[in-house]
Amino acid sequence: MTMKSGLMQFVLLIVVALVVQSGPAHAYLDPGTGSIMLQMLLGGVAGGAVVMKLYWARIKAWFSPGDTPTGKTSDDETKPGGR
Amino acid sequence: MISDRDGIDSGSFRDPSGRILHHEGRVFRLVSETGWKEFSAVWSSGLIDDLAADGLVLPLTEVDAAVAGNPADTVRVYEIEKLPFVSWPYEWTFSALKAAALLHLDLHLKALAKGFTLSDASAYNVQFRGSRPVFIDHLSLRLYVEGEIWTGHRQFCQQFLNPLVLASVVGVMPNAWYRGSQEGLPTTDLARLIPWWRKFSWSLFMHVVMQARLDRAAIAGSGAVDTTAMARARLPKSSMIGMLQGLRSWIAGLKPPAGMTVWRDYAGKNSYSDAEATAKKQLVAEIVSELKPGLVLDLGCNSGDYSAVALQAGAGNVVGFDVDFGALEAANARSQADNLNFLPLWFDAANPVPDQGWAQQERRGFAARAEGDVVLALAFVHHLAIGRNIPLPRLVDWLIDRAPHGIIEFVPKEDAMVQSLLALREDIFPNYTPDAFLDAVKMRATVVSDTQVSQSGRRLVRFARLPGRG
Repeated sequence: MTMKSGLMQFVLLIVVALVVQSGPAHAYLDPGTGSIMLQMLLGGVAGGAVVMKLYWARIKAWFSPGDTPTGKTSDDETKPGGR
Repeated sequence: MISDRDGIDSGSFRDPSGRILHHEGRVFRLVSETGWKEFSAVWSSGLIDDLAADGLVLPLTEVDAAVAGNPADTVRVYEIEKLPFVSWPYEWTFSALKAAALLHLDLHLKALAKGFTLSDASAYNVQFRGSRPVFIDHLSLRLYVEGEIWTGHRQFCQQFLNPLVLASVVGVMPNAWYRGSQEGLPTTDLARLIPWWRKFSWSLFMHVVMQARLDRAAIAGSGAVDTTAMARARLPKSSMIGMLQGLRSWIAGLKPPAGMTVWRDYAGKNSYSDAEATAKKQLVAEIVSELKPGLVLDLGCNSGDYSAVALQAGAGNVVGFDVDFGALEAANARSQADNLNFLPLWFDAANPVPDQGWAQQERRGFAARAEGDVVLALAFVHHLAIGRNIPLPRLVDWLIDRAPHGIIEFVPKEDAMVQSLLALREDIFPNYTPDAFLDAVKMRATVVSDTQVSQSGRRLVRFARLPGRG
């Protein structure tokens, strides 16, 4: 999508999503639209979380003298899109 | 048992890239020319062998087309293992569905690490060997294109995540709903059932509440949705991996609803003495070891005591059936802990899973699949004959349809368990007698043995089905 119109539309849809309560079934619209829009939304958040996790591992490694910084983390501290 | 007649599998038609073929008792995966265009890269990378070595997918063995009878429209033929039993997600326990969901995510993550992805996320692409899930749809693996979105996300939610959330967060088991709506639980419907105080979970809010709202917004304002922009939507690979990992850690922590059973304590709450129970197990073990069945169907398996006995006595596989989710959870836990070839499934004997899906042939029902070598129906008959008013001769007839050999337990009216079934209702069952039961068995089978196993007059009847019946 082109950056500007895509972003505008996306913001608009988020606003609509938070306001609208129900809609009629529409047979010709791909019902996966919500999933695609969600991924556009999560794309930023989860992507950011992955980067955060990498840095967090490095920071932790810095403070634990025994370990070498590997960038590897255990599951429980990786919460990109987690609870 | 995939006891299909020779020919293309009745559930294999949606994907133009290939088919499943049953030929002379063996099972083959056929790849079409279209399919090979995508799959050749997967095959030559060695990904399938790697995933199979980890137990994530069924192994593929390339064979000459002649072995499969030179099927039409096919450029590659692979032989695959014949599964002991094909089951559907709406028959699985909570833990089995959860294991299948985690398998799907693990497989996807491993594939992504090697530059491949999955083109869909159908729960029907997972089957079970014992309680161990395995992925069976090799042709949904394909090359990953940098920046592409997760096309299977919506399907993953409907077929894996939403049923687990319904059970774990709302406290309602999803199986009856899932069975009626075989594409899974729509996210917009599930979102309406989530209590507001549970919506503060990040993953739940995003994957259920937010997705549902975006779906509804898109539908309500469909004129405003720029579908070409949607089609160009991109998701960085790191974000896709983040989404999969986030879902994985969330799902791994989901628990089945608490206190959902009346039967979990059954092993310690029946009218048997310890000695009687031991004698009953010994008898079942003797019969099974004599028959050496490949597949045992254990109807009313409860937590799987007798399934385990049958396996120990030499049965190849046991598929257990029960109506009680708590008992099934216990059975699944037993199977996982002891790594048994035992798959416990949910079913209501008075209303078994029907043939359904496209043309009512896509997902075969209970009767079409439940063809065992031996059927066990222990402490089962009275629940249906008295609990559900099924006439004894019809019930026995139906049981004998399941396998050429079997053991049926008859629990007489005098037994405490039958008395409790009758406690709050009128006894309208004058024909529920041992003699009537034996007469019904003899209509279709030979009574090989008839052994009293309790003081209360319970008996185990071993039958051998008479050949032929129109």
